[in-house]
Amino acid sequence: MLKQYPTARFILQRGGWYFITFLVAVTINFFLPRMGTSDPVEIIMGQSAGGLSEEAAHAKKNALLKDFGMAKVDDQGNVIEQKVKSQRKVWDTVTKSDIMVDVYTSEAVRTSSLEQFGAYVKRCLQGDLGTSYIKNKKVSELILDAIPWTLALQLPTIVFGWIVGNLLGALAAYRRGNFDRIFFPVALFVSAVPFFVFGMLLVYVFAIQFPIFPPTGGFDPGMVREFTFEFFASAAYYYVLPFFSIFLILAGGQAIGMRSMGIYELGTDYIKYAKWLGLKEGRVLMYLFRNAMLPQLTGLALSLGTMIGGALITEMIFSYPGLGLAILTAIQNNDYPLIQGCTLLVTVCVLVANFTVDILIGFLDPRVKAGLQMGGN
Amino acid sequence: MRASKISLGLAAVAAAAFFSGCKPPTGKIARTEALYLAGSQWGDPSTFNPLAESWQPAWPVNDRFNLMYETMVSYNSLTGKVEPGLGTLVSRSNDSVVVDLNPAAKWSDGKPVTSTDVKFVFDLGRRFKEAASGYAVEFIAEIKVASVDNGGIKTERLTFIVDKKQRNNPLAILDLLQAIRIAPSHVFEPLIASAGNKLDSVKKMKIDSAPVVSGPYNLKSYSSEKIVLERRDDYWGNKALHNGEMPAPKYIIHPIFKSNDAFAIGLQQGTIDASMTFIPLIGDQKQFKVGTWLEKEPYYLPGAIPMMIFNVTREPMNDKNFRRAFAAAIDHDKIRKLAVSGYSVDMRPGLVMPTVLEGKFFDSAEAAKHSVAPGIESAKKILAEAGYKAVRKPDGTLDYTTDKAGKKLKTLFITSPTGWSDWEAMVRLAVASLREAGIDVREGFVDASQYWPAKSSGKFDLLMDKPAAVITPSLPWSRFDAVMSSRNWQPSETGSMNQNQGRYNQPGVPSYNAKVDSLLNIIPLTTDSVALRNAYVQLNNIFLDDQPAVPLVYLPEQFYQFSEKTWTNWPTEKNAYGPAQLPWVSAGINTLWKLKLAK
Repeated sequence: MLKQYPTARFILQRGGWYFITFLVAVTINFFLPRMGTSDPVEIIMGQSAGGLSEEAAHAKKNALLKDFGMAKVDDQGNVIEQKVKSQRKVWDTVTKSDIMVDVYTSEAVRTSSLEQFGAYVKRCLQGDLGTSYIKNKKVSELILDAIPWTLALQLPTIVFGWIVGNLLGALAAYRRGNFDRIFFPVALFVSAVPFFVFGMLLVYVFAIQFPIFPPTGGFDPGMVREFTFEFFASAAYYYVLPFFSIFLILAGGQAIGMRSMGIYELGTDYIKYAKWLGLKEGRVLMYLFRNAMLPQLTGLALSLGTMIGGALITEMIFSYPGLGLAILTAIQNNDYPLIQGCTLLVTVCVLVANFTVDILIGFLDPRVKAGLQMGGN
Repeated sequence: MRASKISLGLAAVAAAAFFSGCKPPTGKIARTEALYLAGSQWGDPSTFNPLAESWQPAWPVNDRFNLMYETMVSYNSLTGKVEPGLGTLVSRSNDSVVVDLNPAAKWSDGKPVTSTDVKFVFDLGRRFKEAASGYAVEFIAEIKVASVDNGGIKTERLTFIVDKKQRNNPLAILDLLQAIRIAPSHVFEPLIASAGNKLDSVKKMKIDSAPVVSGPYNLKSYSSEKIVLERRDDYWGNKALHNGEMPAPKYIIHPIFKSNDAFAIGLQQGTIDASMTFIPLIGDQKQFKVGTWLEKEPYYLPGAIPMMIFNVTREPMNDKNFRRAFAAAIDHDKIRKLAVSGYSVDMRPGLVMPTVLEGKFFDSAEAAKHSVAPGIESAKKILAEAGYKAVRKPDGTLDYTTDKAGKKLKTLFITSPTGWSDWEAMVRLAVASLREAGIDVREGFVDASQYWPAKSSGKFDLLMDKPAAVITPSLPWSRFDAVMSSRNWQPSETGSMNQNQGRYNQPGVPSYNAKVDSLLNIIPLTTDSVALRNAYVQLNNIFLDDQPAVPLVYLPEQFYQFSEKTWTNWPTEKNAYGPAQLPWVSAGINTLWKLKLAK
């Protein structure tokens, strides 16, 4: 089928695989947090039940279980309870020793993970990602509120860092000489510095020692978000340090990779052949760039896919609004709906980025499609 | 073409969401009109509903913060006095606590604050099992209302009758009066009625647009970056409580930061006016006009005690000699200097703090008689006498410990939340001295998701905790109660406990000491100062004999530090017109009327 349309076949086949990966990932995202030993109800009870009587704590626990969809309820919406037998050590005055006696406590009947999964999938299909347990807010609202900041910070830094890094890397590989002698160690150093160290360094130098830029926040603390020039000007001013903290490191890393690839490609037969044929320098360079870029593209896809989780440290250093910290607090509190919402987003990003690059590489590198046409997978 | 249209649409949706929740354009708030306070709100503000579960409301509707919703009275941690709020404390006895409601008190919609509002909030727990203030029911049997004449002004007098059959604790009623926020019944009763007389769905409402409040400020706007409050110029208390003056700042802004460092930089640069976050080496910040209550070390007043709680149901923590040896080995001075930057005075043995309020309940001669001699050598001696042996490696470091029967003891772990840097330092320092003394113990830093459940279920060897962490009228009773009370005792295998998580003093077993519970029951009812002191001394002696926990160091309840770049006249030791608290807590709020703009 579709033999005569290799491109369509290629895209469909890849898309199918990605869809299956997506389903598996969503399932794992759902069950993984639930495999731990603690549940969100226990965490909240530990935090807020101090001083409560046994009865009040029991009522509170049931209310939480019901709220979180973790308890079975009857038609009136009351939590169904069951008697649970357990043992307790007491002192027997007759035998003068500790003995174990049976005690009965009542506990809410919990819904199984499978039942919760069914409800989750149903809600997801209706476009509802659920409500965060801890933040008491719709997960979709939380994500929509934070994602513009994360995207605004990460997308341009990654894309520009990639473009600038690759151009400089290719240039260094082709030019060599003094440019490379200075550029290479600098790029190597910059790319080896961890994000958080570099971020803190920038804050120290440009916000504390020489207070040119603000150290923290996304915009002036005396402002609210609004569509005004003043607001965007303020946001741009607050953007400078976080931007460079990622941009420079990313560009450095890309440049190193591109330089190595470029040097490797320069020594290959096709370049030698092209030169021997007497092709123009620009044309040779184009061939070189096109071939050296392939692994770099995969790197770009990975960076784009993981940018939401990767934003955490930068967002913490600069107290920058965004999704990174939301993910961390969600995980720390076993806030299932928020974890699921965030991981769903990350999953979609990774898959879409990879899929796009996969297709792109298919077009750029005829070998990939050719492999398929010859009956490979 | 289509793809670009879709992405355009997505961008529009994202932008709409991004700017939704914004109020109409307001421009920039002038620095001189705004007070920037920080350190209470750490994540997205979730709700401003005063009836929501205790852990849910955002600043300032959480804790004893009375900027929006006020409490009946407030507590001054500096003087120990109960100060007027919506009401004034008239008397307190073992039968009742009496409060006169201020007749001038008004809601922001102009309606008066009445006894109906107070009864509504306190009685919620009686009407609904799921009410967040449900615990109050165990203390108050009934609220009686009478009309009295206060110098020609008709005043509502509320009498909170102590529930003698349940907790029988008038002291705790005082705590409740300064902790429970009064909410307008004329707003919430109709909401409850429209929800089919159920509280559940009302509790989930956000109550975030023009809420009806009684306090001096009201919510203006909020987002994930900050909460902005605006002054209510028609606040009833300006005339009734503050000689007709208004609070100095027109706006109070609480920026939501993501790390402690951000606060330190903010204070230093003057973008934050006051905060309650741990900032190391605060003395070095003086050059940036950053101030603290005390001018010199320890800079702060003690307010709470972080401690290690023993799980006494496990071996060898069930042996009080082992616990005493453990306590002897802790180097309090090292912890004070290294873990908390010296922000603490020397420790006294036991659970009574050396403050003006608690100091009178401490007897140093008695404490010396009952406490262990501190130091590694002392710990080694107690261990040896109790039959424990330390087995060391050839290089002298500890390998393991054996008990009386010569059996090798399992390594013990101190469960503590990961990332709480001061606690982590305390645990590390403690572990070093304990191992030197011959006790096989290690750091057990765990994620918050493991820490909180472990705390109530008792699944730990030792637990880091800060019982009774806020300053209330019931201290130090509430601290003793939180560590030693056997009320609601539950075994760790099957039950969970919300206090005394070390499961000390199990009722029904031969080692049970009835004296502990009886003292804890008597203290709230004791008004005679000599008898009260005597009771506390006895309780502290039992604590020192049995050592169910090891207090590590004193910490301030709130790290109150301020910048004088924009606002001056902050309360300090030398200018002690208010307590060492941020101007959002209890009696600390009065600071707002005294602040002055820096010239």
